[in-house]
Amino acid sequence: MKYLFVSFVVIAVILSCKKDKVEYEPTPYELEIPSHFPDMIIPEDNPMTVEGVELGRKLFYEVKLSGDNSMACANCHAPSSAYSDPNQFSEGIDGSFGTRNSMALINLGWDDEFFWDGRAPSLEEQILMPVEDPIEMHDTWPNVVTELNASVEYKNMFFKAFGTAGITKERAAKAIAQFLRTMISGSSKYDVMYKYENGLALSSSEQAIYSTISLEEWAGYDLFKSLNGADCFHCHNGPLMQVKKFSNNGLDATFSDLGRGGVTSNPTDNGKFKVPTLRNIAYSAPYMHDGRFSTLDEVIEHYSSGISMSPTIDPLIEFASQGGVQLDTYEKGLLKAFLLTLSDESFINNPAFQEPN
Amino acid sequence: MVSLFFVLTSCKDKVEGEPCEPVTAQLSVSVQPVFGSEILYLDSTYSTVEGYGVQFTDLKFIAQDVRGPALQLNDASFFNYRETGIDLFTGEGRPEDFTSLGGNLGVESSINHSDPAAFPNESVLNISNIGGMHWGWNPGYIFIKVEAKVDTIPDGTDLFDHNVVLHIGKNVNLQTFSFSNINWQQTGDMSYHFPLKLDMQEFLQNESQTIDLQTEYTSHTASGQEVLSLKVIENFNAAISEY
Repeated sequence: MKYLFVSFVVIAVILSCKKDKVEYEPTPYELEIPSHFPDMIIPEDNPMTVEGVELGRKLFYEVKLSGDNSMACANCHAPSSAYSDPNQFSEGIDGSFGTRNSMALINLGWDDEFFWDGRAPSLEEQILMPVEDPIEMHDTWPNVVTELNASVEYKNMFFKAFGTAGITKERAAKAIAQFLRTMISGSSKYDVMYKYENGLALSSSEQAIYSTISLEEWAGYDLFKSLNGADCFHCHNGPLMQVKKFSNNGLDATFSDLGRGGVTSNPTDNGKFKVPTLRNIAYSAPYMHDGRFSTLDEVIEHYSSGISMSPTIDPLIEFASQGGVQLDTYEKGLLKAFLLTLSDESFINNPAFQEPN
Repeated sequence: MVSLFFVLTSCKDKVEGEPCEPVTAQLSVSVQPVFGSEILYLDSTYSTVEGYGVQFTDLKFIAQDVRGPALQLNDASFFNYRETGIDLFTGEGRPEDFTSLGGNLGVESSINHSDPAAFPNESVLNISNIGGMHWGWNPGYIFIKVEAKVDTIPDGTDLFDHNVVLHIGKNVNLQTFSFSNINWQQTGDMSYHFPLKLDMQEFLQNESQTIDLQTEYTSHTASGQEVLSLKVIENFNAAISEY
């Protein structure tokens, strides 16, 4: 009888352990890519999985990634600001401030170069940098890994995501990259306008949106594209509302920040910065690499009358020698009306991108 | 018997039972921008016959449906001097099948207005691969881009404040090119090369129609720019020749 009891206990323990055992059964993550977008090229060494995205989301909001456990990625990439920082410069854990505005995190899965100066050639490499930057999260990856390793929940999540024991900075970056690649914005009024203009079929819901587009918004779009109007389309067009390039858009005559030139050491790149998407621009203030403009009105005024000439100014700013495109008040209003069509509330409010728990 | 010998020897490194992969020759085409007799470097200064200093900042074009007498060699390629240098494309084929080459400078109308996101990922016409060469709306692709900065005052002081932006597209401006009696240069066991040049001096000083960058400096193929647009892409096409 005694042996029978012991046997029952042993079996019960075994069964209970089996129940709690973490299995590696990754579930492929199906990205919801808008029909008018190109495919997203996923790195072969970081396939998208539900488990990876879930881990990445948790890490994105994890304060253990900072030296004093006070700051997460989301601190400088706030959902309500299109995942950028509403402050001109982000404050690090030590009270230091950077010199550039945090970029909005939108449709990063289609990008090839990251940061304003493009110094990171992949999303995974970009993610590694802020953690150890002394004016940002000011931690070390070995320290972060140690802290994450102390959590059974994280150990299980990393195993579920990658199938191997052990937390590494590379796996953490891969998970966050997976999460960031899910952050797709393609459901704005502009998307309906783009599809209509390119003869692409509109769904019934898009037909409904189409009927709400005002004459001012259409006129603003015409102005946006017009050579003798706002002339914006050279650098901002297509489904991503962005051309992959670095450009000097006439902010300064001399440069306190070399931008791309600081990376390439090529003087012809001085003063050039990555062209950002205009998607959700109403949410992502302040504007420009250094956040110098607080409002869209200031941005429009810059391109209208505030262009500064310099040796590397983008030739596509064709009215640079006149200081800008010289819009009148009415035209500025139309252009702003169009820029607001780039707002995608379903992206800003998507619960799948918000802090878990 | 001789054929059998060649088959056996050519497959000797393969695992027994595996099919023997044929090795196909690689045919590559390059385009070297020049300014007269000089190699053209972006951002460097060249002198026009008018005495202007010109610094080209961007040279791009799309070549589409490049084919020989019977076979297509390349469906579409994107020349981007700043980003990818002088290489236009490399295709698979035998030199004897491509004794002449012809194609479009630009994108033919049947696909020019297709959804630019719907082309296969590996196609240069996919908007992910050709960003900046599509207007984003119905006119479709920009066939050629010439961008430059010009110093129009020859006073010995550099002042490159005159921007040149020539973006040409639209079906009406599609050009065709052809090269006959091609002598492919062998560069390896199965590699052959056909070098072309793009002479930007000839682009400006075409014998039948010249371009004065002081007055003819901007075109986006918009209404009112038809004449200059056609002249620009015709001159560009004529400036491409065997190197």
